[in-house]
Amino acid sequence: MRKSYPVMKGNQPSRHTLGTSDEGASFAFALPLALLLLLFAFLPLAGTLLTSLFRDTTFLEKKFIFLANYSSLFRDRSFFQSLTFTLAFIATSVPLEIALGFLFSLVVHENVPALGFFRVALILPWAVPAAVSGRVWELIYSYSHGIANTFLLKLGIISHPVNWLGTETGAFFSLVFADVWKTTPFVAIILLAGLQSIPSDIHRQASVDGAGPLRRLFTITLPMLKPSLVVALLFRTIDALRVFDVVYVLTKGGPGGTTTSLSLYAYRYYVSGDFGYGSAVSVVLFFCALALSILYLRASRFREVLA
Amino acid sequence: MTGGRGKGAALFAAACLMTLYSLGPVAVMVAVSLARDPLSTLSGGLTLAHYADLVRGPSLHFLDYLKNSFLVSALSSTLSIAVTSAAAFAVVQLRLPVRRQFVMAVLALSMIPQVSAVGYLFKLMARFGLINTRTALILPYSAWSAPLILWLLVSYFSRIPPDLYRAALVDGSSRWQSFTRVIFPAAAPGIFSAWLLSFIFSFNEFLFALVLTSDYRARTVPVGVALFQGLHGEIPWGILMASAALGSLPVIATAVIFQKRIVSGLMEGIVRG
Repeated sequence: MRKSYPVMKGNQPSRHTLGTSDEGASFAFALPLALLLLLFAFLPLAGTLLTSLFRDTTFLEKKFIFLANYSSLFRDRSFFQSLTFTLAFIATSVPLEIALGFLFSLVVHENVPALGFFRVALILPWAVPAAVSGRVWELIYSYSHGIANTFLLKLGIISHPVNWLGTETGAFFSLVFADVWKTTPFVAIILLAGLQSIPSDIHRQASVDGAGPLRRLFTITLPMLKPSLVVALLFRTIDALRVFDVVYVLTKGGPGGTTTSLSLYAYRYYVSGDFGYGSAVSVVLFFCALALSILYLRASRFREVLA
Repeated sequence: MTGGRGKGAALFAAACLMTLYSLGPVAVMVAVSLARDPLSTLSGGLTLAHYADLVRGPSLHFLDYLKNSFLVSALSSTLSIAVTSAAAFAVVQLRLPVRRQFVMAVLALSMIPQVSAVGYLFKLMARFGLINTRTALILPYSAWSAPLILWLLVSYFSRIPPDLYRAALVDGSSRWQSFTRVIFPAAAPGIFSAWLLSFIFSFNEFLFALVLTSDYRARTVPVGVALFQGLHGEIPWGILMASAALGSLPVIATAVIFQKRIVSGLMEGIVRG
């Protein structure tokens, strides 16, 4: 895949004949961004990796302990509880987001009246900060005066108020629903882009040949949408893996730590001053995300576009 | 159009259901913020008292949060656009030798959990005495919004005809001049979309703001709203929802006004990636 680039100056018939080397200048133009990223993204990441090998807490002397934080991690039941929650959260929320996002993308792909209005409505949940909408969900789920209970009681779906945020199952699904609400627009937009790249001739020809809408969905739309579905799936999986805002605001990891995501678990250690252990949790999370992003970069058409 | 009128009606109904679902919680937020009796929603009549309490309550510092959010988001987006557009110019027009690896490294950042950086970032900012300053947010935000912006701008810059850049050089412009006077203006609409997306990203960021700020001098709206508690144990829902509504008004307004740019920017930025 590697291409070689012309390093000679002056004897290329291309733009390289113009002026002096573009090469030196190109580094100069890329440098500010490189520095910004090194300082505020990659240095902190490297620092976290390093810190995870130390006993680094508030009141004790800093000491190199190599992998001891990681071996404690493997004996830490709360860590596994948090890992289990995070995986269950991904497994529940991501498929729902993809399914609902797909339905929404179909709706805004078509020429419905007032399309602009519907598209605005679609993206609003994405635009509102998750920490802010989390407080709205807190009110909606509230036991004594929440709209969720009032509504479901009136409809007769439940016979007595549900303690949404106070029970393990209730808290789990409250989080899932809030997250699905927030991120469905994102999925819908990815899939909308995919839908728009399908030539309409194919659909027209298929319906001339007698294929019904359902048949066209399964033989044309879904197969051709596959690249976008992969992108949406991986993006959402990574985002759900590192979920923090909505959990912090809505359940604070409770009840009894059952909804503590990995990000929240690491954060708790940072806040309590245990940077070594918090870093170890973060590093595990980082490698999970890295594995997923390598998958993503392989699946996307990244290489072709840039070549 | 094959389905005719029946299909159109079904679609319209589906669109209305979608809207109900999307706007439901937003409607709850606005309704409770305006309700005289927040817990019985609208049956007690309307009032702006919660907004007045919110803005006037000196210990709430809501306007400070709003100001911080505005400054942090606008400045970090601008900084990010400045350095990232130069980098996109290096990648596309100047054919940076390691461009593939460079773009890959930047894009990889969008996958990294923020929590994997925030602990060390706190130490870094503490060392430079920047904890609880807006600078402590502006710098990391401009770095962490770079992946989306770079990818968008690389995509927009590649669509500018190469002759435009060559002609500028032939006319005697330096590379810097051809960047600032030819390439940047030619991609201006795309750059504006990227700025908007970056603004929304920064405005909504939570974890860095939670860890790197401690009070009204640098705290942003999402953290302010998240940490809002009542004085006497009972949460004053009216004021809280007023803060949620007013606090998300800048991003909601942006989304409403620039819907087309945002949707096309997102499609471009994510899907091409």
